[in-house]
Amino acid sequence: MSFFDSLRQKAANVKFLDKLADNFTPVMNRDEKFRLEYKLPEEEHVLDDTNADVSILNPYKRAKRAENSERSELAYVFSGRLYLTPHYLVFRDSFDSTSCNFTLNISTIRKVERAPIMSYAYSLAITLHCGTRMVIQFIGLRNRTDQFCHKFKELLRENIPNTKLLAPFLETCYSEYLIARNVLRESDVNPPPGGLGQRYRYPGDASKEKPKLKLWLDYFQDQGKNLTIVKNHMFYKLIRVGVPNRLRGELWEVCSGSLYSRFANPGEYKRLLEANEGKDSRAIEEIEKDLNRSLPEYAAYQEKEGIQRLRNVLTAYSWKNPDVGYCQAMNILVAALLIFMTEEQAFWCLVSICDNYIPGYYSKTMYGTLLDQRVFESFVEQKMPLMWEHITSHDIQLSVVSLPWFLSLFFTSMPLPYAFRIMDILLVNGPKTFFQVALAVLKINGEDLLEVDDDGMFIAILKNYFQTLDHSAHPDSADIRYRQITKFQELLVVAFKEFSIITDSMVDQQRSKYRKDILHNIESFAKRTQLRNLPQVRNLTPDNLSNIYDLFYLCIESHKISMGTGSSNMDFEAFVQFLSKFCDWCKPSESDERPNFRKQKRAFLKRLFTKWGSSGSQELTLNDVVFGLDGLLSKDLMSSINYFFSLFDEQGKDEINGESILQISEALLFLTEAWKSGRYVDKLTQKSIEDDIADSIVMNNSAKGGTLEDIELPAGVTIDEEKYKQEQAERYLQAASNFLQRSFEYARPSEEKEVDLIDLSDDETESKQAKEKKWESLKANVALNPNQTSVMDLATFRMIILADETYEMFFAHTLRNSIHVDEKIGSRDSRGGALRNMFDGFLADGKRVASQVRRRVDSVATKNSSSSGSAAEATDIQDEVDDFTSGHTFEHDDLLKHDLISLEDNEGNEPNPESQRKKLESFSFSDPSETREHSLIEFEA
Amino acid sequence: MNSALTSIKLVLLGEAAVGKSSIVLRFVSNDFAENKEPTIGAAFLTQRVNMGDHTIKFEIWDTAGQERFASLAPMYYRNAQAALVVYDVTKPQSFIKARHWVKELREQASKDIIIALVGNKLDMVETGAERKVALEEAENLASQEGLLFFETSAKTGSNVNEVFLAIGQKIPLKSAQQQQQGQGSSGLRINDDSRVDLRAAQDGPAPSSCNC
Ligand SMILES: Nc1nc2c(ncn2[C@@H]2O[C@H](COP(=O)(O)OP(=O)(O)OP(=O)(O)O)[C@@H](O)[C@H]2O)c(=O)[nH]1
Ligand SMILES: [Mg+2]
Repeated sequence: MSFFDSLRQKAANVKFLDKLADNFTPVMNRDEKFRLEYKLPEEEHVLDDTNADVSILNPYKRAKRAENSERSELAYVFSGRLYLTPHYLVFRDSFDSTSCNFTLNISTIRKVERAPIMSYAYSLAITLHCGTRMVIQFIGLRNRTDQFCHKFKELLRENIPNTKLLAPFLETCYSEYLIARNVLRESDVNPPPGGLGQRYRYPGDASKEKPKLKLWLDYFQDQGKNLTIVKNHMFYKLIRVGVPNRLRGELWEVCSGSLYSRFANPGEYKRLLEANEGKDSRAIEEIEKDLNRSLPEYAAYQEKEGIQRLRNVLTAYSWKNPDVGYCQAMNILVAALLIFMTEEQAFWCLVSICDNYIPGYYSKTMYGTLLDQRVFESFVEQKMPLMWEHITSHDIQLSVVSLPWFLSLFFTSMPLPYAFRIMDILLVNGPKTFFQVALAVLKINGEDLLEVDDDGMFIAILKNYFQTLDHSAHPDSADIRYRQITKFQELLVVAFKEFSIITDSMVDQQRSKYRKDILHNIESFAKRTQLRNLPQVRNLTPDNLSNIYDLFYLCIESHKISMGTGSSNMDFEAFVQFLSKFCDWCKPSESDERPNFRKQKRAFLKRLFTKWGSSGSQELTLNDVVFGLDGLLSKDLMSSINYFFSLFDEQGKDEINGESILQISEALLFLTEAWKSGRYVDKLTQKSIEDDIADSIVMNNSAKGGTLEDIELPAGVTIDEEKYKQEQAERYLQAASNFLQRSFEYARPSEEKEVDLIDLSDDETESKQAKEKKWESLKANVALNPNQTSVMDLATFRMIILADETYEMFFAHTLRNSIHVDEKIGSRDSRGGALRNMFDGFLADGKRVASQVRRRVDSVATKNSSSSGSAAEATDIQDEVDDFTSGHTFEHDDLLKHDLISLEDNEGNEPNPESQRKKLESFSFSDPSETREHSLIEFEA
Repeated sequence: MNSALTSIKLVLLGEAAVGKSSIVLRFVSNDFAENKEPTIGAAFLTQRVNMGDHTIKFEIWDTAGQERFASLAPMYYRNAQAALVVYDVTKPQSFIKARHWVKELREQASKDIIIALVGNKLDMVETGAERKVALEEAENLASQEGLLFFETSAKTGSNVNEVFLAIGQKIPLKSAQQQQQGQGSSGLRINDDSRVDLRAAQDGPAPSSCNC
């Protein structure tokens, strides 16, 4: 294989990884699962748990029984698991959690005694504030039981202060009023403040209100209420048959767990409103738009009072959860809640629903809504294959039909009283409820739906169905009992009997299955939208913009964006991160260990950050960053220099003062550090290496004559990296010194006495260290001699830059090429350290070496003389250099004459065998056996 | 109803509360509601219109306007033959949003989609509210992008039918034949009896054009 083939192959092998931003998949830990299951507030977690048998004795029940017989201390025993959390004693029956479970607030416990039941077992008798007694019989090892009881005792003590909160809290519960009024026969009690329904009536038929209330009254007497309620089969049954309007608020609180968060956070709702009073926000703007548009058919929402309550709750939520803010549909949910609840109750219930039932539905990207639509589709596919086949074959978009159901919890689809019933069940049964109801809707209307072939007709059929839910499901049946069954009853039966196969864990499973896809889709949608709406730029291609977008969001945590949380702007720290991902001069390096460098870096980056930011905010938007990069990446030399100058020209007067001149030179020093320290090579060095390679190839092969195809390399080629690094470092130092010196020479506006600066005229023999020192002292010198009056204008700055080949190249090429907006995320990571970078540069440019060699070979072939070969080389270089400077030569002719250090330090075109030999020494063909170790890059042929 | 029938899928886009649903309500039922609930996701309505020798059935997708619903929009403008991009003449922000919608449609929707730019709530300007989106500005956008352009009021009904009429006239009749199959299959017809005769709208005063 020839040398160039192998170069090409190596170049092709440089791997570009295309890593997508890692998607965020939440994994719930045990405590989170526990909280979700029992709808407990954030601060609860399992402290201890044990197996136990529990029986419950209620004072009212006992009283009743006592009248009949004397078998008072008898009750069902439930076997299950008992948990302790900081504020709760939680129990659930092991065989069937719906046969007995409770979430008892510890502060409701008045007394705990050792129970004298069955000598071998360890039992506790617990008396609650309302008189209910529970007997807990521990099962398991004695020392585990001791441990549990010990913890329990501690918690009892810790919860004593909370008992003070109990009385005022209970005053807000309708169940307490119901008992006081009907059981304790207190006549001077008033119902606690409740929802708007108290005054504006409850939507729907109220005929069954009384008997339903009676059933719940019995239940409360039997099984406790609000904070002490024990849920058994009866509880679930009573929920299913429909909750009385007066108790609906409290039961929603109990089922959703918002009762616990309201109890845990007394006064927080009020504080939220007070703390943010008078403040403005996007959410508030959006809320105001919708206040008049929330259940307008309900009388209270045509009046100030109703609207004000709605405003308060929605606003408080937007402050509580600014990531969500306000989403249309929340207004309808809250309007529904407020019919049954006070503002504070509705607020906590909203929080609980948003967190536990419809996570992510109302987020800024609505990812939860989209996710559940996908999950719903997958259920239709699994459970109703015929329907699914119809839907897919006619290209019907199911989510177009079902999304509004889920998003507004059926409130905008069904007449309100039915939607309330669905809500009753949702809150007690969990998110699976939606899927069950939605599947049932499709199933019941299956025949009609299979007849039509577009989503519009689907919607029309179902709209009609929802509006007639009160009609008979079997109007033509001969049996009157059959005829009396309404469509709504039928819906419930199909949903909760037939589709009881849909469980919460299935929902969870499907949600995690599709989450990644959905987030990914949202990301790419958001990206397309944002890129489309970016303002026009000149120097960035659509691909560049796409890469910038990816990097931008990578640095501000893109997964949060697609979940709709977090800010989509960039602060300074993220900005530094951002640049370091694709700008060679911003990458972390050894130089960062030098405090001085760090200072320069920070100063420059701060300057960029401020310049790019719009309207003085402390954050950059994507637009800001795109505009900024567009300026920095100016394609031609002049505008690149102008842009850089403008960074320092804060007043925009095309003129900067002495202080800024120093800052500009510091900035240049920072920007060029990566080249000065040899981490990267610039075009000038690269050319010099290429020329050397080409020369040596020619030298080596000229003896044989022949054509390019014959040229082959021996076993290995090595480059003396150190030498080139050294040369380049000196060049950059020299450039920096020249810049500072000339700046203050030319900046002086009037003729003043020559400041006696250290002479920095080119001295090739000077060591690098000496130059570095010189620059420092030069800077110190200038700083000590502040020329307050001195200013430098743009034209002068341009001239000074153009006077130095290295800096000129820097603005013409190096800087632009060090900003890799053309590379996708991750592709940079695949490159190793400095040596690799340098190496890759050559690989990518193998062709250029090839053309150099070709020219040499050609000229050797025609003239057959080594001296003319060297002449040809000089011309070549001239050509190449002209590529970067053509058009500007005239501007700096006068400046060039004394300072130009260039590749062709062999003056004119005179062959200079001496220098040629020197070059070639550093570049040699070597035996594989005697490789020169460190600082050598090896090309394996 | 013997005349040829063309179905047009039409989608309404625009910032929240600019009056998209109200325009549809005016067109479909010649009605106006002061406090219209925000659209959740999207609503679907149809309306048939007689146009000379043929009938056009508008299948209207009225979408939700809030920013965060934007990611759902492609679901609705997919395969749409026409779009109404609505803004509120008293809300400059809504016009910026309208520009974005036009851009998105041009990029993502069917290539030959007919877009009408609609500045709504004109009645407010006539009754003293300050106009915030200049007529010329909107006309410029319309001519640059090749859009139909109307200023309307869903409240008074002014110019609403004209928007749909203009779209109806621009739809190539050819699609009528293509769309004909499948029409008889469904047993359900919405608003069959409340047709708007747009020929009347051309001559007579616009608001009274409903012949139901
Ligand atoms: N004065 C006036 N008010 C209007 C007009 N059109 C709509 N409105 C009112 O503006 C509000 C919003 O109207 P909608 O039709 O619901 O707006 P939308 O664009 O559908 O809003 P979303 O569904 O939230 O995107 C309602 O209160 C309407 O009564 C109009 O032409 N003039
Ligand atoms: Mg609407």
